[in-house]
Formats: sequence, C-alpha cells, structure tokens
Amino acid sequence: MPSSSPAALDILNLNKRFSEPAVNDLSLTVHNGEFYALLGPNGAGKTTTLRMVAGLLEADAGAVKICGIDAFADPIAAKQVLAWVPDEPMVYDKLTPLEYLEFVAGLWSMEPDLARFRADSLLDSFGLGPHANERCGGFSKGMRQKVALAGALIHEPRLIILDEPLTGLDAGSARQVKKVLTDLVAQGVSIIMTTHILEVAERMADRIGIIARGQLVAEGTLEELRERASADGNSLEDIFLKIVGGVSDGELIAGNASPPEEKVA
Amino acid sequence: MNAIAVPSALLRFSRHELRLAWREWAWMFSGWRNTSLQRALIGMGIFYAIMHLIAYTLLSTRLAPGFVLDQSELAMLSVTVLLSFTMMLSQAMESVTRAFYARDDLDLILSSPAPSRDLFLVRIVMMALTSWVMSALVMSPFVNVAVVLGGQHWLAGYVVLLSVSLMATGAGVLITLALFRTVGAQRTRLTAQILAAIVGAAFLIGMQVVAILSFGSMSRFTLFDPAFLASHAPSADSIWWFPAHAVAGQTNAVFLILAASVLFFAVGAWLGAVQFRRIVVSALGATEKTPHGHASGRVFRGYSPLGALVHKELKLIARDPWLVSQTLMQVLYLIPPAVMLWVSFGQDTQVSVIIAPVVVMAVGQLAGGLAWLTISGEDAPDLIATAPISALTRLWAKVLSVLTLIAGIVLPIALCLALISLWGAVVTFTGALIAAASAILVQLWFRAQAKRTTFRRRQVASKASTVAEAAASISCAAGTALIAAGQPLALLPVVLLLIVLGIAWSIRPKRNARPSGV
Repeated sequence: MPSSSPAALDILNLNKRFSEPAVNDLSLTVHNGEFYALLGPNGAGKTTTLRMVAGLLEADAGAVKICGIDAFADPIAAKQVLAWVPDEPMVYDKLTPLEYLEFVAGLWSMEPDLARFRADSLLDSFGLGPHANERCGGFSKGMRQKVALAGALIHEPRLIILDEPLTGLDAGSARQVKKVLTDLVAQGVSIIMTTHILEVAERMADRIGIIARGQLVAEGTLEELRERASADGNSLEDIFLKIVGGVSDGELIAGNASPPEEKVA
Repeated sequence: MNAIAVPSALLRFSRHELRLAWREWAWMFSGWRNTSLQRALIGMGIFYAIMHLIAYTLLSTRLAPGFVLDQSELAMLSVTVLLSFTMMLSQAMESVTRAFYARDDLDLILSSPAPSRDLFLVRIVMMALTSWVMSALVMSPFVNVAVVLGGQHWLAGYVVLLSVSLMATGAGVLITLALFRTVGAQRTRLTAQILAAIVGAAFLIGMQVVAILSFGSMSRFTLFDPAFLASHAPSADSIWWFPAHAVAGQTNAVFLILAASVLFFAVGAWLGAVQFRRIVVSALGATEKTPHGHASGRVFRGYSPLGALVHKELKLIARDPWLVSQTLMQVLYLIPPAVMLWVSFGQDTQVSVIIAPVVVMAVGQLAGGLAWLTISGEDAPDLIATAPISALTRLWAKVLSVLTLIAGIVLPIALCLALISLWGAVVTFTGALIAAASAILVQLWFRAQAKRTTFRRRQVASKASTVAEAAASISCAAGTALIAAGQPLALLPVVLLLIVLGIAWSIRPKRNARPSGV
C-alpha cells in the first residue's frame, strides 16, 4: 500500500558480519499501516536485522530510514517514533505495571495526563488492570510480555518492531495481543514482526518476507509467495519450507536434508 | 517412601548439594576458567602460609612459657568466639532465607515424590558445614600455631568453631521461622536480610562504640586493657568465660558446648524441615504488592527522560532487599565516627583526621556497589537503548543516581563535622565525592551487562575492577586524612589514586562497536 508519505521503514543494502555474514545486502520496505512478517529459519539474520533497525546493533554498511528519518544519522528522532519489543520481556521485577508505564512515558517525554490515560487503556486491553499495582516480579512470562508490550505502545509509535512477541503467551493472551496489533494496523501504525508461528503470519500479515542466510529470499503477499514458490500445498508452512529448504519425511528418516532452493523473489 | 528409599533420597540430595556447593565455589574463584581456578588455589595456598606467619607473630609472645589464661586472654578468646558467632549467624540468616525464596531447583524438587523435608535437612547441614569450613579456613592458622606453641589441647578450637557454626545455623533457622510467623512471607526476606546486616556489623560496631565512650579511641583493642578488664569484666572462673575455656581445651567445657550446640541445631533443623514445604509454597506464592494506593487513584508525574531514569534507579535500589541490607551495613559502620564526633564535640578540632578516612572508605565501597547496580545491572537494557535519549543523558542519569544517594548519606555527617571544623567537613565531603567518583569511573570502564540479581557476584565477575575500586577508596581515605591533618604528604595518596585510575583505564575491557547512537 504505497503512499506519498515516506515509508514506515526503508532498509537499504544492510550488512552485518560477525564471524561470518549475518545480514547480507538486505533491503526491504514496510509501508505505512502495513503488517509485515519477517520469517526465516533459526540463525537466518531476522533478529540481527531488527536490532540494527532499533539502534541496538551497529550496521557494517547500509541505511535504515524510519518514517523518512535516517536512523543512523539521527537516532534520537528515529527512536521517538519507534517501539521495540524483543522475545524476552524487558520489565523490572521491582516495579508495578503502572510504575513501569510511568517510567517509559517519562523516557519518551509524554505529557503525564495523556500517559496516564494511555496506560489505563493499554492495561485494560491486555487484561492487566487488576494487576496494575502488583510488582512484575511475581508475574508469569506471558503477563510480563504484555506489560512490555503496553510499554512499547504507550507513546503511540508509528513503527513497531516485534521479535517473537507471542512467545510464552497462552491462547487467550495471544488473542488479546493479536487483537491489539490488528487494531493498531487499522489505525495506520506499521508493524514488522518476526515469528515462528507461521499461522500468525498467514492470518495477520499484509506482506511476508522470508530471510535465509542473511538475505531476503522471498517477499510478497501470501498469494504472491504461493505463486512464486509453486508450492503444492496451500499453507504458508509448505511455502516456507519449500523456499528455505524443507525436508521430506523420507529425508528426515535418512537424516539427509536438502539445501535451500534458489531465491524466488 | 520406604526405609530403603529414604536414605537413598538423602544420599542423592547430599551428592546434589555437594556438587552445587563445589561448582559455586569454583565459579566464585575462577569464573569457570580452569587456569584461574589453579591460580586461585595457588594464591590461597600462599595466603594460608602468610596467615600462619602472622598467627605465629601474634601468638609467639602470648603463648610463651608461663602463659596464664587470665581475664585479658579470656576476653580475647571470648570476643573471637562471639565475633565468629555473629558473622556466622548473619551468613546463616542470609542462606536460610535464600533456601526458602530462591526458586532455582525448588519447583523440580517440590514437584517430585522425594520428601522435601529431607532436602531442607541436607541443605541446613550443608550450611552449617560450609560455615564451619569457611571459618576454620580463616581461624585454622591461629589454632595450628597455638597447638604447636601451647599444646594439643588447643585443637579444641576446631570443635568450638563447629559448635558455633551449628549454633549460628540453628539460630538462623529459628529466627527466620519466627519472622515468617510474625511479619509474613512477603516481608520476611527484607527483614531477614536487614537483620543479617545488623547482626554482622553490630558486635564490631558495639565494641568500637564502647571503646570511644570509655577511652575516646576508635580502636577496639583498647577494651583489652588489663586494668579496664579487672574493673569491668567477670572474674576468671566465671561461667561467662565458658566458651573461652572450651577453646583452650577444658574437656568438660568442650563436651558441654558441643552437646548443647548439636541439640540446638537439631531442634532448629527439624522445625525448619517439617515446615519447609509450607513456607516455600507461601514464599514463592507471595506476590509483591505496593502497600498504598490503587491504580485508579494514581497520577503520573511528568518526568523528563533524565528524571524518569533517576527516579527509576532510586526506586529499584530502595526496593532491593539485598542492597538495602548492604547499604545499611555500610551506614552502620559510620556510627562509630558519628559517636566519636559527638563525644569530641567542642573539645577536639582534630577529630576530622580520625573520621574523614572512615567516612571516605565507607562511601567509596558503597558507591562501588551502587554504581555497579545502576551502570551494569540494568534489567531492561534494550528499553533504555531504544528510548529517544542521548548516550550522555543515559550516562548522566546513572551517575546522578549514585551521587544523589551518596550525598544523602555524607551530607549530614559533613554538616555535623562543620560544627567542629569547617575545613574538616569540606575535606571529608570532597574526599567522599572523589571516592564515589573514582568508584563510578571504575564501574564505567569495567561495565558488563548483567541482571541486578547477580549483584552479589559482581566482585568475582571482575577482580580487576574490585581491586581497582578498593585501591582507589584506600588512596582517597589516606589522602583525605592527610589533607585534614594538613600534611604535605597528602600528595602521595593523590598520585597513587591517579596511578590506580590510570592502570584501571588502561586495562579496561575493550568494547566491540557500540550500538548506533549510544
């Protein structure tokens, strides 16, 4: 869904090398109001890419623009419109959800009344209202993840980066989170999310990017990926396995996995 | 659980605990590096040999032919036993609380068919034995030298140490159980840790305060003055000296003290064991709720990013039971200088020379711990790193948090000191701030991302930073004392401080590329 305003996220020729290339000349765009799912096998470079976008890791080369702001040249302006939610919830055991949200609101210099209103609304959305005054130390991982999500959303970011946000959530909590995310996208917020739950990407994402060995090997809507991969099955799992190199039952028994296929995007 | 299965469960738990204790010990000394462990063992061997030399130097004159166990010697032995007891009790309270609250493997063990009572019994015995071994390691050079110089009867010192560790561990269990009953599962941890800090420091501080009030001296050894003991202490055959006679090998005293301690320990261990499961379940299930206010009534304060960071740091520090107890302990050590200040008020303008180094040393150590917590011990590093604030703001917020707390502790002392000596107050306050700043710098150079819960292991994680921090504090304390005394030699500690900081800076770990914007 291209528009005249700058894209929510523009990644251009991004590179990062540790002992070997982790992200290799990767480019992708997330449009305004788009839900983009970034898929790939373990170690493909998904988290490294997102950490570079969030300013948590320095890139070797390339450029990242968030809502038109050069994230490497002006990181503070870029972070003002950004939210980052990793798979491990970033909360303080000794703070209550309300205190945590007050702290995050302070970091983003929010007006206190608005912050308080948003905090109440988010805590209710995630079903955390009754626990607003309990310290996070006694929370389950799912509850902590919801507190972290509320913290990420309190300053009304325009781009949300989610790295496996549904890890550790029960079915009910996962549904709450998915609803909040869907509502945000409907309001024009852009989301880029990595997930291993392909059903979530299949149902929620406007576009899907598949990354392998640090490169974007496929990108498009579910239908586009289905066409390009010429997958026999019709689920995203079939398409994903075909693109990144799935294994058949016979190969599993023989312990002989096939190498990834050529780039189809 | 049949008769055969019970001993086998005890045996398994014992093996499990021994393995954990050994690995914890090895980790503590080596950080899991074999070469470091070897070096640590060699270093400990050398240290042990040096301790024997020191013990020989101290005891060779005392245990010379014609040695009599008089009031002075009895007082020295009794104080040593009492000091060991308070230290062990403090450690026991800390360990027992951890046994109830630390989740670690409790979920696994409590959900298994093995009797949890046995686990506690094994753990409590291990606590007592560890306490005995650790204290024996420190005291054994003195006992060994006493045996060589004075005879085999001094071997009873080891038995008394075992009795003291059993007594302290038993008392630790009983006190913790009493806290669970009186203040509840939610507050026991904090209360126990504060009590442990007070118990650990109280005896030494008490002795120092008595020395100040009686002799106007901050040295505890003035209390062993024969004339003072003759007029204040019980006679040599009093029952009060019973533990001291046991140390010296009086058979009846040794057996009696051992029997009493075993009985006391058995009662404590059994009471703890039968209530273990119930207490653990209530401890792990105790949700930490804020005592006041409801979500609906609370108003957000409009913090700036800097204000939000400082407020968060102060709040987390205030809610950390371990840190509160450690801070309290450092503050408790400031009581003797405060008493000295009070006693000398209007009489001795040179009192700042005595007080300044104590205050500066305590502040340096406290600042090191606080700086580690704020700089390295960040539980949500990604949140802070992705916030729209500059690296300078982040850094300044951390430094400001530590300095605020330090100033809050030092300022009242400096103000009191100013009533006696303005120069002394200025020097003490400045010295304390420099000590705090040095500790902060060292922590900045050696920062390594860690969870706040690993605070107690910070000194093991970087021995270089620990040594640098201590050396900087000592230099600051020495420099402050000499400047307060108007000595030109003050330049030496100042140069030493600069050298220490220079070395620390040059050996700081090299960092990989920082995240953009950080």
